[in-house]
Amino acid sequence: MEPFQSFCDTLNRRQFIKKASMGLGAAALSGLINNSLSGAGAVPNGLHFTPKAKRVIFLFMAGGPSQLDLFDYKPNLEKLHGIELPPEITQGQRVTAMTKGKKKDICASIFKFAPHGESGLMMSELLPHLSKHADDLCLIKSTHTEAINHDPAKTFFCTGSEMPGRASMGSWLSYGLGTLNRDLPDFVVLSSAFWSGKVNVQALYSRLWGSGFLPGKHQGIAFQSVGDPVLFLSNPKGVDRTARRKMLDFVAKINSEQEIQTGDPEIKTSIAQQEMAFRMQMSVPELTDLSQESQSTLDLYGPEVTESGSFARNCLLARRMAERDVRFVQLFHRGWDHHRELPTHIRGQARDVDQPISGLLTDLKQRGLLDDTLVVFAGEFGRTTFAQNLTPGDRTDYGRDHHPRCFTTWMAGGGIKGGISYGETDEFCYNVTKDPVHVRDLHATMLYQLGIDHNRLIFPFQGLDHKLTGVEKAHVVKDILA
Amino acid sequence: MIRDQILAVSGQLNPTMYGKSVKPPQPPGLWEMVSMDAPFTYVADTDDNIYRRSFYTYWRRGMPPPQMTILNAPSREFCVTRRERTNTPLQALLLMNEAEYFNAAKETAKNVLAQSDSVREGLGRVYELVTSHVPEADRLALMVEALEGFKEYYGEETSLAESMTPELKDAPLEKRVDLAAWTMVTHGLLNLELTKVRR
Repeated sequence: MEPFQSFCDTLNRRQFIKKASMGLGAAALSGLINNSLSGAGAVPNGLHFTPKAKRVIFLFMAGGPSQLDLFDYKPNLEKLHGIELPPEITQGQRVTAMTKGKKKDICASIFKFAPHGESGLMMSELLPHLSKHADDLCLIKSTHTEAINHDPAKTFFCTGSEMPGRASMGSWLSYGLGTLNRDLPDFVVLSSAFWSGKVNVQALYSRLWGSGFLPGKHQGIAFQSVGDPVLFLSNPKGVDRTARRKMLDFVAKINSEQEIQTGDPEIKTSIAQQEMAFRMQMSVPELTDLSQESQSTLDLYGPEVTESGSFARNCLLARRMAERDVRFVQLFHRGWDHHRELPTHIRGQARDVDQPISGLLTDLKQRGLLDDTLVVFAGEFGRTTFAQNLTPGDRTDYGRDHHPRCFTTWMAGGGIKGGISYGETDEFCYNVTKDPVHVRDLHATMLYQLGIDHNRLIFPFQGLDHKLTGVEKAHVVKDILA
Repeated sequence: MIRDQILAVSGQLNPTMYGKSVKPPQPPGLWEMVSMDAPFTYVADTDDNIYRRSFYTYWRRGMPPPQMTILNAPSREFCVTRRERTNTPLQALLLMNEAEYFNAAKETAKNVLAQSDSVREGLGRVYELVTSHVPEADRLALMVEALEGFKEYYGEETSLAESMTPELKDAPLEKRVDLAAWTMVTHGLLNLELTKVRR
């Protein structure tokens, strides 16, 4: 090759890598944008739209919380209680093996609902703290999905496909939006170490926060509740910060020499990543150190905030990450799969999350972060209007089966209208009757709020231009945007 | 590959073939994080099975060994012809701090110290062992300088040298400082691009 040309190529490659280290996707996006929006102006950072949110806190309620007992108020069910669900409603649709061939008797919730806030949003007595935020919440009662079992439904919600191995929501954002904080990962996962609903708890899979076909650096980093919050963060015994610095200087000297010899810019990336690792050894302990939080702040999140691995503590950590511009924080709280003894278990689960989420919203608001932080609350599906495992004659003992055809999710902050209820279900809470929102529509809406067109954030893999929203048509739910 | 290479260099590799999977040590709490309500706990093997080739490492689908996933081991959920090439701070942390990797540096340093009569000979030996190259004069000089720096530091911070070398608790302090300094140089070499990436 002509020497001058090869020198130019090296330079270009180097610039590419430099760009890539700020997020390959940022490069990808700006490339796409240049092709499609030349002259449109006004949209910052190579995004498709002006973003309303900079980051997302996703509260994932694993197991499938009952929308009937938490959000979707159905006063008429009281009259229909105990009656078999009419076949014209169920239309012979698929049910789980647990329900197949069994009677489907309607079961009204025993929990009371009341209007809250100026909006008068109907909220269940199970969520007294969250009810105070009624005017911030956008309840999406018409959420629906296809999968009827936990694993495919979770995998769909987290990765946009029931097939395992696709890229997760957070990794798409890391890929598409790049890094805001060079000292912390873009995508952090916080999983509760304990929960109250001690029935039917499913395993989680690390693929729910995996990067699939996207480069591995976009995968979610699961913080640990015991030991180092980030794996292998602490120096080995006998190595302190000074010794680590000396070792890295020694390594960098030899690496730089090799870089000059070979001209491979990837070596520069290696040096930079070792430096970032060194910075993370400071920034992560600082992030997870709650000793500087005031008592009044801690109190917002409730008494469990001091317990390592609690949902409350994870909510506080999520706020600290939002402050530090971590793009996507995903909390997992398990124990919502209430096939039996639902009233007992849902009380515990609601208690686990109610005050912490309320505290999170208050705290984000008082720091001015709620405006550009999108908070999403969702389980993988909802639960049936008909009962399972009930004790005849005892109104307080019933369970509910999986129900993907309608369930309630909610969003708050991040440019979403507060104090509204979107979408409607029929009087049985079985089918969606108005404004259906598929999970992929929820994904499209999330991306939209962050400034991304879900049809244009793509990654070619195995012959298909992959998107978070998949190949089926998805739409942004514009009616809920502020 | 990196792990097997480090085990081989340090003389720890157990070349036994065949048989069931083995469980090298893992950070605590990983399996509990994804398990059902009766937690499955990872119980690491304690014999020299932990030094078998990585090929034999136990693989749990819901939580594969992080030492492998951090280095982009394919998830086995779809067929791949080529492993993803990335360069992340987590990879840097893994190679810097994972107990097995660091221990391998110490074991290598011990072997080299036992086999070498002079500092320069030892450094040349460890460099060749780790990188498969014979060091040029200025590279050797750089290593000598680094070794002196570590000796000085651990000579001052003797408690650090002691905590790194509990197995030498009956040996004179000087020996422990020496091993700590040699370990750090070897540890540095094991973290080089030259070692990690074949170009």
